[in-house]
Amino acid sequence: MDILTKKSWSPYAAGVVIGLLQIPAFLLVDTALGASSSFVTAAAWVAGLFDPAAAQIDYFAKYMTSSKYYWQSALVIGIALGAFLSAKASGTERASFAPSWTKMTGIRSLTVRMVMGFAGGFVLLIGARIAGGCTSGHGISGMAQLAVGSTVAVATMFAGGILMSLAYKKI
Amino acid sequence: MSLFFMIVLGLVMGLVFGVALEKSRVMEPGVLVGQFQFRNFIMLKMFLSATATGLVVLAVLNGVFDVPLHPKAAAWGPVVIGGLILGIGIALAGACPGTALAQIGAGYKDAWAVVAGGILGAIVYGYNIDWFKSVLDFGDAGKITFADLIPLPFWALALLAAAGLIALMVVLERLSPSAIENGRCDVPMEGPDEDRLGHQVHGQPAE
Repeated sequence: MDILTKKSWSPYAAGVVIGLLQIPAFLLVDTALGASSSFVTAAAWVAGLFDPAAAQIDYFAKYMTSSKYYWQSALVIGIALGAFLSAKASGTERASFAPSWTKMTGIRSLTVRMVMGFAGGFVLLIGARIAGGCTSGHGISGMAQLAVGSTVAVATMFAGGILMSLAYKKI
Repeated sequence: MSLFFMIVLGLVMGLVFGVALEKSRVMEPGVLVGQFQFRNFIMLKMFLSATATGLVVLAVLNGVFDVPLHPKAAAWGPVVIGGLILGIGIALAGACPGTALAQIGAGYKDAWAVVAGGILGAIVYGYNIDWFKSVLDFGDAGKITFADLIPLPFWALALLAAAGLIALMVVLERLSPSAIENGRCDVPMEGPDEDRLGHQVHGQPAE
């Protein structure tokens, strides 16, 4: 499997592969590619461990019952497995955290970076849930459907990212 | 479709997605932030290519086979404010919700914290959804697409947009060649590991 052991693919080739995944998504699942809804499914289960009433909240209940959200949860687990296989096959396994963080922020400790990452993940999902989608759902899928709202969402995502990245050293 | 089928399908599609994210380095924090600093255009290239491919796919599925689209609502409050917060989150996390999982797969330990933080974010949003909606739910223009605004069928506009994106990629590749960006990744996109580690692993043992 040369394509799997290859160290890298051109970003254009990777984009074509991801874009083609819309075919099974629309034909077999009757939805578009997305990722952030699966975090609500996980959230609903975690909340249910501590609070039996969590399942009564309509928003959580919706993400625990539809098979579409189980498909998406399986999709993001598959993403982790795919990246694992890909890195394994080409000998590009990562360790600890990306060296870029040290260049950008001076952070050298994994603990400090994990605190930052936790905060980042929190902000990420609050934003994605307010917007109703992330870089997959609004970005890749929304723009492929010429959705007006998704196009605005992509512009504001970029704006937010550019603003925050001004705080970092140039990578 | 049965739940079992959906889960297997999701896993298989995710596998392909994850391989593409790792091979293209789009899941690297340095690549995402590099894009926001306009130092590295790998993310934009992948994104434009995936969108152009999706446009062609949907032009055919919708235009020829009448497969329904699922555009999200153009709600200005949520989309503008949520998008800004999401963008800040991407730069802090060094990941999007999908690529955080790819980082876990590739071996980055901090990505586990990103996912945990994300689940907590979704829990906080779910418990306070009424408050978020009361503050931010304004300016909902409905699930409109540009094909609703411009007197062209979706398939025609989608193909035109795809052609525009392809032209944009050609220009982008001229301005920022992939060959230069490859060397700016934490894990180089080409060349043997020996170069990255600074010593020879294979071949003759060092004298």
